[in-house]
Order: sequence, then C-alpha cells, then structure tokens
Amino acid sequence: MANYAGIEINAVSLKSLLTSKAMYVAYGFLLFALFGVIDVFYERYFLLSATAFDAGLAPGSREVAEAMRAAVFGPGGEVKREAPWSLYIVNYMYMIYVGSGIIFIVAVAELIDIKLIKKAAAGYLTLGLAMIIAGLFTIMMDLNVLHLHHMFLSPRFTSGMWLMLPLYIVYIPLVIFEIYLILAHKDVWVKKIAVAILILSLLVEFVEFYVQAKLFDMNSARHLWTTYPVLPLYFMVSSFAGSAAMMILHTYLVYRHTDRSKCAGLMSIIQKLTLYTVLALGAYEATAYLFIDKKWAEIILFGAFKYYFYAYLAMAVGIPFILLFKDFTHNGYKILASVFIIMGTYLGKMIFVYGGNAYPMSDRFGVGFEKYSEYEPVRDVIFFMPPLGEIAIVVGSFGIIILLYKVVDTYFSVSKMQEH
Amino acid sequence: MNFAMALDYQSCIDCKACEVACKEENGVQLGADKQRIWVTQSEKSIFGEPFVALHPSQCNHCQDAPCVDVCPTGSSYFALGGIVMTNKDTCILCKGCMEACPYDARFVDDTHVAVDKCTFCYDTRIVNGEMTTACQATCPTKVRLFGDLDDEEGELIQMLTKRKFYVLKEDEGTVPKLFYMLPEHDKNFAMNSVDPGTNIYTWDTYKPIIEMAKAKRKPQWQTMQE
Repeated sequence: MANYAGIEINAVSLKSLLTSKAMYVAYGFLLFALFGVIDVFYERYFLLSATAFDAGLAPGSREVAEAMRAAVFGPGGEVKREAPWSLYIVNYMYMIYVGSGIIFIVAVAELIDIKLIKKAAAGYLTLGLAMIIAGLFTIMMDLNVLHLHHMFLSPRFTSGMWLMLPLYIVYIPLVIFEIYLILAHKDVWVKKIAVAILILSLLVEFVEFYVQAKLFDMNSARHLWTTYPVLPLYFMVSSFAGSAAMMILHTYLVYRHTDRSKCAGLMSIIQKLTLYTVLALGAYEATAYLFIDKKWAEIILFGAFKYYFYAYLAMAVGIPFILLFKDFTHNGYKILASVFIIMGTYLGKMIFVYGGNAYPMSDRFGVGFEKYSEYEPVRDVIFFMPPLGEIAIVVGSFGIIILLYKVVDTYFSVSKMQEH
Repeated sequence: MNFAMALDYQSCIDCKACEVACKEENGVQLGADKQRIWVTQSEKSIFGEPFVALHPSQCNHCQDAPCVDVCPTGSSYFALGGIVMTNKDTCILCKGCMEACPYDARFVDDTHVAVDKCTFCYDTRIVNGEMTTACQATCPTKVRLFGDLDDEEGELIQMLTKRKFYVLKEDEGTVPKLFYMLPEHDKNFAMNSVDPGTNIYTWDTYKPIIEMAKAKRKPQWQTMQE
C-alpha cells in the first residue's frame, strides 16, 4: 500500500484487477458498446451512398441504379426529422440525472451530518460520477465527434447545449475533489475546506438541473417540455427517486457481507429517503398533467403512450410505495422496490423524450396532419424504434459504470466505510 | 435587405419540379426524406368527395428563429438579409435545432454528418447577386415569389399589399417569413386548406410584427460563414 497526497493506494496487480468477476461483467456490457460504436461509426463516416453524380458517371449501370434506389427509398439514415432526439438522449438524461442525484443526496447528508451516509460517501460519489461519465459517453456517441472542437472554437454562450461544456468541466473535477477529500480525511486542511466544497458542489448541482431544464425548455415547439411545470424541479424529483434506488442496490451489493449492521442501518435510512422521493414523484406526476399542453397530454395519458405511462407510474411509484411503506425487515423487498424504481424511472425518461416528439409538427395549416411525400403514411403519433447500434451503445454504457467503479475501488477502496 | 417568400399555394400542381431543382442545384442528399423543400398533402373529403390540399413548404426563415438560439456552436445563424443558415463544418449534430423548429424544416445530411435545411439559395444564387431561388425559377405555375421586404417597390411587397396572406403556427412566436397567399376568390379551397381560426393579414398589419422581430435580431446578422 502506498500513500500519495494524503490518500492510500492499494498495491493490486493489473492482472488481478482485469480478471476479477466484476470486470468480466463489465467486459460483457462493453462488447455491446464496441459493437454499437463500430456499427454507428461505420454508417456515419464510412458508408458510401449513391449520388446523382454516380448516375452521371456510370449511366445505365445496374449497380448504380440499385444503389440509388436504396439511397432514395432506404431507411434514410440514423436520424428521423420528426424525432431527432431518441434513446441516446434518454440514456444520457438518466445517467446524468441519477448520477448527479446521488452526488446531491450525499452532499446534503454530509452537510446535515447523517453519519452512516457520510461513512459510505466515497463509494456513492464514485458511483454517481461513473454514471455521469457513462451518460457523457452516450451523448458523445450521439454527436458528430469530429466537429466537437467547435464547442471551444465558436461557442454560443446562451445555448443550453453549450452550457453543458463549462458545467461538466467544473462539475466533474469538483466531484473528484470531493472524493479525494473523503479519502484524505486525516489531513487538517482537508477538514477546513470540506464544508466550503460541499456548499459549492450543492450550488453546482442546482445550476446543473437548471441548465438541463433550459436545454429542453428552449425547444419551444415541443410543448410537453415547455409546459411541464417547474422543469428543473421535475428533473430533481424524478432523479432523486432513481438515485435513492441506486443507492439501495449499491449498499446491498457492497456491504451485505462485510458490514452487516451498518448495511442494515444504511438500508433503513435510504429506504425512508426512497419512500419520500417516490411520494414526491407521484405527487408531481399527478399534478403536472393539469398544466401540460393537452395535445401532448392526450397522447401520453389516453393515446399511444398510455400503457407505458401507467406502467411507469406503477413501477416508479405504486409498487415501490407498497414495498417500502411497511418497514419489512427482509432486504429482498427493498431490493425489489429499487429495481422497480430504476426500471420505472428509466421508462419515465423514455416517455419524456419520446413523448416530447410524439405530437407531429406536421399540422402546420390546422387542417390535419400532412404527409411529407407520397411514399409515407400520414402519422398522427411519432415514434421510431432506435437503430441496433444505438441500443448496443446504451446497453454498453452500463459496462462503463462497472468498469470505472471497479478500477477506482480496487486502488482506492472507496467502498470501505470511511471515518471523517 | 430582409429576404422572404410568398407562396400562391393554390396554384401548386405537385409536379415536384421545385424539389428536383433544389436537390440538383444545391447538391442536397438523395432520399425521399432528405428534402430542403417539399410539398405536403392533407387529405379530406367534402360530401364524400376526396379533397387534397397541396402545401409547398420549406424553412420559414423565421425572423425570430428559435433554431438559432439553441445551437451551441453558432452553426445555425442569421446571414445578411435575415436568412437562417447552417454551417455544416461547425455542426456537432446535437439536433437541438431540429427539436426547436416547429416546421420539421431541418434534416440530417448524412453525407456531411450535419444538419441541412433550405438556404433560400443564399450560397448558390443570392450572394452572386441573383434575386430568384431555384424553386421559384423552375415552378411552372409561379407558386413562389422570392423578394426583399425592405424594397417597397419590389414585386414581393407589391403582391403582399394587394392580397391577404397568413403565416404558419403563429402562436409559436417565431415570426415566419413564408407568406401563404389566401385563395380569396375560392372560399371553398380557402376553407379546406387552412384552419378557419388562423389570423389573416394584410401587409400593413404584419409589417410591424416583422419590423419588431427584425430590430431584435438584426444585430445577429452576419456574413456567410465559409
């Protein structure tokens, strides 16, 4: 074991890290990511499509004619004009919001001195950070990575999308610094600045949820997003439910064998927290649709999205409430509730993103939905299945969480209860 | 200068010449869904008889365009004359502009991995001093009329002062600059091709709206990005 800058680093061989069980699980997920990246990048940057020039250069060519037919009547690329944001954005939102939610909850627990959460804080913060990085990986794959340097070269400072850049440039190092402070708890100077850093990180958290809401709220044409009441608050409430559920799972997986009494105590605290967040989410959803544009509300509450919406409410609110309200001693109920919440809140994010695009923009003259060409049906609800590569990247992003957490935990023992 | 277009859409015969001319002249990607301009159809029936309204469409080059605000790299911008442009070299494909557009006017050009849209032929014609667009030049029934709203003597203003018109999705507050000429002498067609609740304008009533939005946005107008 070595000590560097006040923190202890475990002497673990690379081989034993890479051959651990958790890493094998990560590899499984990462294989999906690899397949997705190759698939998406091949289609995006290497796949050649026939053009009118080809027809001019090789008139009468059977192959060119076939290629032109595919170009004109084929699937039409990875992005549909009616629904530009898709599963990438869902996963990005989920990972970023839930990750940030975990960090927020831990920061508040530190400030109000909830001792058990403070002891396990390094592990939670690492989990939150790993989720944020998995979310950023997803969004990177969605963007044209070859042009990303223009975020620095020609910034538009007022754009919600651009504000993500300075936000995460500040936010990620700040969280890493928080983890460092916890691990380096013996140093006196660390104790002196810890509270200031905590308050700063809470402020950045508020800014983050505000910026995320601005990102959606600026799309004035998508009324689901612009009429959701107090959007930053909705993002916080829905994220905290997912965050608390993630913390239950993390607590159970990490501490169930090593620290049983503390594990039970932590589970009990987070169970209460989860219950409150689930109740808040239920109350929010119950009132939000009084304010949401009725065209969008109709699709979600009574139209094509209704079964998904009620499944979301059941999984994220109803079932967990029943499982968590009575203080069952068996951890199985809490685990089951947290799994339902995680799946339910993910479905909730899908409804939010896909629902925003669900009402077609094509009713421009007020005489009904128009069809854009003879080759398409009239659409009264917009939904497109994401391509296989996109799904694979989203599945693969879970591997990034496992990989990052395992690497950091192996060398810095972040999951060990820390006194500070 | 403040460029805009009037569409006498009742004259559209859905020949697609405008779509072909646009694709050919501007090198737009092949594909049924890859259109800078397009003709939409809304089908109805009147007393059991089918009725199809043809709506030639494209980017509305909104005077107060929301797509410009959301762009993180300035790839979407106002060119001189208030034309909404995209620079494919700086587009990071965040697709925020596509989400912000109430008219589905933008699509992804897969050959450049960037967002594409109608430019009013700014880069191919207007910067060279021409005052027509490819779609206008090719239309056999003269549906489109491109022009300058600041030129009181110009053909566009002359037409707008003579006839009533409406714009699309006015409630979105984007102040569109595609003016759809109301088929005033064919009440049946007018009734079935536009929502009866739509605001119908004369140039005198719409001009102050345009001027206010122009005053807000003109400081952002810039020369064409190369």
